[in-house]
Amino acid sequence: MTSTLAAPPQTRQVVVRAARNAFAGTPGRLRLAGIATVLACLVFGLFAFVAATTRANALANARADAAQLVRVQSIRTNLVFADANLTNAFLVGGLEPPSARAAYEQGIATASKTLADAANDSTADAKVLGNVNQVITRYTGLVESARANNRLGYPLGAAYLRQATNLLRSDALPPLAALGQTEQARVNHAYSDSAGATAWLIAGLVIALVVLLVTQVWLSVRTRRTFNPPLVIATALVLVIGIAVAGVLAWSQGKAKDTRGGAYFATLGLATARIDAFDAKSAESLALIARGQGQAYNASFDNLSANVSAVLDDAARRGGADEKAAQERFRDYLAVHARVRAADDGGHWDDAVKLATGQANTVFQNFSDASGTALDRRSAQLRRNLSSARSPLPAFAWIGLIAGVAAAIAAGLGVAPRLREYR
Amino acid sequence: MRRVILGVLAAAVLVAGCGAGSTPQLPRVAPSSSSPAPSSSAPPAPGCDDNIYKSRVASYAPGASWADSATVAKIKSRGVLRAGVAADNLLFGHRNPITGVIEGFDIDVVNEVAKAIFGTASGHVEYVVENFAQRIPDLQSGKVDIVADIMTINCARWGQIAFSTVYFQAGQQVLVRKNAPYKNIADLNGRKVCTAKGSTGNENVKSLYPQVRRVIVDNISDCMVLFQQGSVEGIVSDNTVLNGFAAQDPYAQIVGPKFTNEPYGLGFNKANVDFVRYVNALLAKWLDPKDGTWAAIYHKWLPGPLPNPPSTNFDRPLP
Repeated sequence: MTSTLAAPPQTRQVVVRAARNAFAGTPGRLRLAGIATVLACLVFGLFAFVAATTRANALANARADAAQLVRVQSIRTNLVFADANLTNAFLVGGLEPPSARAAYEQGIATASKTLADAANDSTADAKVLGNVNQVITRYTGLVESARANNRLGYPLGAAYLRQATNLLRSDALPPLAALGQTEQARVNHAYSDSAGATAWLIAGLVIALVVLLVTQVWLSVRTRRTFNPPLVIATALVLVIGIAVAGVLAWSQGKAKDTRGGAYFATLGLATARIDAFDAKSAESLALIARGQGQAYNASFDNLSANVSAVLDDAARRGGADEKAAQERFRDYLAVHARVRAADDGGHWDDAVKLATGQANTVFQNFSDASGTALDRRSAQLRRNLSSARSPLPAFAWIGLIAGVAAAIAAGLGVAPRLREYR
Repeated sequence: MRRVILGVLAAAVLVAGCGAGSTPQLPRVAPSSSSPAPSSSAPPAPGCDDNIYKSRVASYAPGASWADSATVAKIKSRGVLRAGVAADNLLFGHRNPITGVIEGFDIDVVNEVAKAIFGTASGHVEYVVENFAQRIPDLQSGKVDIVADIMTINCARWGQIAFSTVYFQAGQQVLVRKNAPYKNIADLNGRKVCTAKGSTGNENVKSLYPQVRRVIVDNISDCMVLFQQGSVEGIVSDNTVLNGFAAQDPYAQIVGPKFTNEPYGLGFNKANVDFVRYVNALLAKWLDPKDGTWAAIYHKWLPGPLPNPPSTNFDRPLP
């Protein structure tokens, strides 16, 4: 058994002697130098390729994860939007206004469609999204029961509405919020992968340059020829392409970083602001429906609207006209909301309801439009920026690889003639 | 007509009473701000025995001084009567989904009280919608002046708040599905039955039918949602509530005899004895068949022949 695997002692000695002869003396060292330079150039090409590809993949992941994040936030937004319209319509009494019904249906339809898209795009999220889909089905079922009872003039409809709204808040929105956190973590992860790419390139560049330079110095001492043109060409190729790839990597990293602090941050902020704002609008209606027992809803409104204001103030400071418009429209709404509360707290419930289902809806719609436009622009900008940060990278990955191979050929061509001189 | 004149007279006297109340030498009933700390496990009122019906339902005499009640004067100067009511109890206190207006038997009683105080109820009642568990804390904190929300009079509650004389007689029953094999609440031993937090129904099932598995919700109408979804087999509550549920669901029926007696009273802050006496004077009049107010409200909301109105009992000694 062992004899078949291990070489016989004689053979082993022959191989070792041949190897020692091959790398012994000046020709041997020359052979070694040739192999080292060729390998070093190939390593450079490979590492440059890996570096640019890693960065490209990481940015593609960041873009996909950011897109998924925007989708998940959009599901939440549409659900709270639908719920806000539902609760507000209920406040009116009687048959709901057709516009409110249409808005509710549109919110649910958009949420369902976005949910299906998001589940298709990410198997990791599919389970959570599947559960949320079930909750939406139960929610819409309860809403229809509420409507059916309302139409018959049964106060039981209010109980169904309360159940529906509570279900949405306990079983659909929290898992979606958690999923949003997961997606944010994935985006961060993709960014740190992207930052690691430069290390590969620098490692490859240093290895190739050190081996090439040491070989050339040794050769110039040994052969009394100061320069070996092919090796000089190989060195220049490695240096120039290495710097070029490093430059592209640095540029893309800078762009990705700017995007993170800019469009990504702004998209995230606007999406959160919209979710909280719709939720606050629901709380306004629910507080009035609760009629004298709405303290919890009012407290919730205050929290949510404070979040919205903080995010919008920050966005307006950093951002452009879109964010400023959204900020102003939200202030308009808050002014009307203050009047709703003043009327209700002053014992004028009917006036409060009239305001909440009239003027408050109008100004809130303005905010919804303004913030929606801002969000669409920002998320388009996010996609564009991440795409453009990635776009030159695949080409430069191949340029790096080809340069490495070319430098390896040049190195081989540079060392081979010197070796021939010893035959 | 007679009532309107009485109301105006009462108002005139009340305004005078208010002026007198500002002079320090006249001792007055403590205002609601000095009400006892809210507590859900207060000891029952001394000398009150739930097993002796008369001792349980006795309220304060509609004394001669009812007209110059400091509490009524305060409500009058505020301009609104704050009333704790239900919005999900069809027939007694519910929000009409079509008009958005809160209406029902209890609402009409509150409106009559407001009419007596202000001359008209319109614009003078602030309805505070409550679930059962919120009724006593809201009275204790002074958030509402009066509770008209199918509230059973019992000794534990007399330890926390004050009641008017009985204005309605109800009893507890159980609601089940029409094809269900249950004939009474005892048949539901081991089954899930829904009750509301802070209700006598919940207490009664706990003590009388401990083997019934209670599912406790905040709002009694949530019970009906669970019932229609098949999560519970039955609902225990007052027949006044269950009649309202049965009217909203043709597949539900009330079975078995009334297993408790639930005398309803209007609820007040314990300290507002003057207000209780004021309202007792009104109730004594309305319950009288010759006046017809109570009978009219009954016919407006409840089907069937008019029962005898509950008899008044004003034997509770003044504190």
